[in-house]
Amino acid sequence: MTETAPTLSAQTLSTVVSQPKLIARNLDFFYQEFLALQDISMEIPEHKVTAIIGPSGCGKSTLLRVFNRIYAIYPKLRACGEVLLDGQNILEPGYSLNRLRSKVGMVFQKPVPFPMSIYENIAYGIRHHERISRSEMDMRVELALRQSALWNEAKDKLKQNALGLSGGQQQRLCIARAIALKPEVILLDEPTSALDPIATGRIEQLVEELKRDFTIVIVTHNMQQAARVSDFTAFMYLGELIEFGGTQTIFTKPTKTQTEDYITGRFG
Amino acid sequence: MSADNIWLYRRRRAINLIALVLGAAATLFGLFWLGWILWVTLVKGFTALGPMLFTHSTPPPPGAGGGLANAFLGSLIVNSIALAVGVPVGIGAGMWLAEYAKHGKLGGVIRFLNDILLSAPSIVLGLFIYTILVKVVGHFSALAGGLALALIVLPIVVRTTDEMLKLVPSTMREAALSLGIPQWKVVMQILFRSARAGVITGILLALARISGETAPLLFTALNNQYWSSNLLKPIATVPVVIFQFALSPYAGWHALAWAGALVITLFILTLSLLSRLILSRSKVTHD
Repeated sequence: MTETAPTLSAQTLSTVVSQPKLIARNLDFFYQEFLALQDISMEIPEHKVTAIIGPSGCGKSTLLRVFNRIYAIYPKLRACGEVLLDGQNILEPGYSLNRLRSKVGMVFQKPVPFPMSIYENIAYGIRHHERISRSEMDMRVELALRQSALWNEAKDKLKQNALGLSGGQQQRLCIARAIALKPEVILLDEPTSALDPIATGRIEQLVEELKRDFTIVIVTHNMQQAARVSDFTAFMYLGELIEFGGTQTIFTKPTKTQTEDYITGRFG
Repeated sequence: MSADNIWLYRRRRAINLIALVLGAAATLFGLFWLGWILWVTLVKGFTALGPMLFTHSTPPPPGAGGGLANAFLGSLIVNSIALAVGVPVGIGAGMWLAEYAKHGKLGGVIRFLNDILLSAPSIVLGLFIYTILVKVVGHFSALAGGLALALIVLPIVVRTTDEMLKLVPSTMREAALSLGIPQWKVVMQILFRSARAGVITGILLALARISGETAPLLFTALNNQYWSSNLLKPIATVPVVIFQFALSPYAGWHALAWAGALVITLFILTLSLLSRLILSRSKVTHD
């Protein structure tokens, strides 16, 4: 899997990736009058890791925040165009936000465990979406913690406050919390920028494992990280999508000079 | 270093010393009166403390023997009414201000009005309840007293709930909402949990504030010489009894007034310490 995916070239994309999970079409995004994203069109393939890179302020986090419409909690922000999740436009007013967010989970830059026990952090979200028995809940919590590689460290202190975990553990708990809802897509917004190298390594390893079950989009400042974990890479600059393709291609033979300049460290 | 500079530094050091001395003197001056008040309350209060204080009701004139049992019960009842009315409404309004009316104009207006209510003289609030309730019903009552105090509790609780929820980082909101949980649940079950210690502190401070209020009770709850727990009848409260007894010509009543003052002071001191304890504890668990 790691052998084949990164060597894909942009041209063969459409044939190998049968169906894109998430499609943006002519997406514009406004902070009040400021145009933060301009005419973004891209297809995010299912069960792959797609990285979004670019210099600060290029709009990569903004794009990610459109995919689960978390931007909608703030006034005066608006997105125009289409974002299709399994063919349905999530930007339509009729699309249920709660349903969208249960399908598209998100993990943020800074780990934010809820002020409750480790067990409750995970059970809380599940309980809201499903009615399940106590024993089933125990299993779901265990599964989520195993999937996020936290089980061994947390199994003896499930009842303890989650704020007592280390930063890296807290971030894995946030991932566990997101995957416990069985989402289809997971958005990671610079998930390791607040973590030390060892915790970062664990998260990256985890991303690699999670793509079997989920479609993953990761925003990162760290180009080595993008190269390490992703199958596809999108490069953004000043609110525009400059180039999108197989990670190997983007990092070895980018077609745009802007991409090449950024990757080789000439700006950004 | 030039001679100019040395002169300049000497001047600064001298000014610093003067400011320090004046500041320390002002602090000592303030503390002196505070210490004196506490000292007098303690000495007079302890000498008046007797075994009957909590078991007997206020004595008739000329005021020998007896206790303040009816006044303690009355204060308990009136304060409970105030909290029962003021706290839920205040928390609800504070949540609305912090979470739903964050960016709107209406929120700003209401926040401003709340601040006015916060600084309204308590006698005005008493007068208000007197006009709309006591005069209409035709008699004083524990309920009216409780409602007058609720008007003092309300803005304090609104303000602290609002402030404490605003302190919860927006990332917590985003993380909870991105699990597909509706906003009202996020606010009630997650954000409020983070803000809880602060809100409880606000409630305790509101309780401390109303425990010593006399003016709004004078013409709402009035007073009652007898043991009464009837919400629709006038009721004795500790501050009002202190007020009445302190102005009386009887030595027995004076002693009871001091005992009441001591108990109230200790009660408020305990509440303040408790609220500080809760706040410092919550800081440890919040990174």
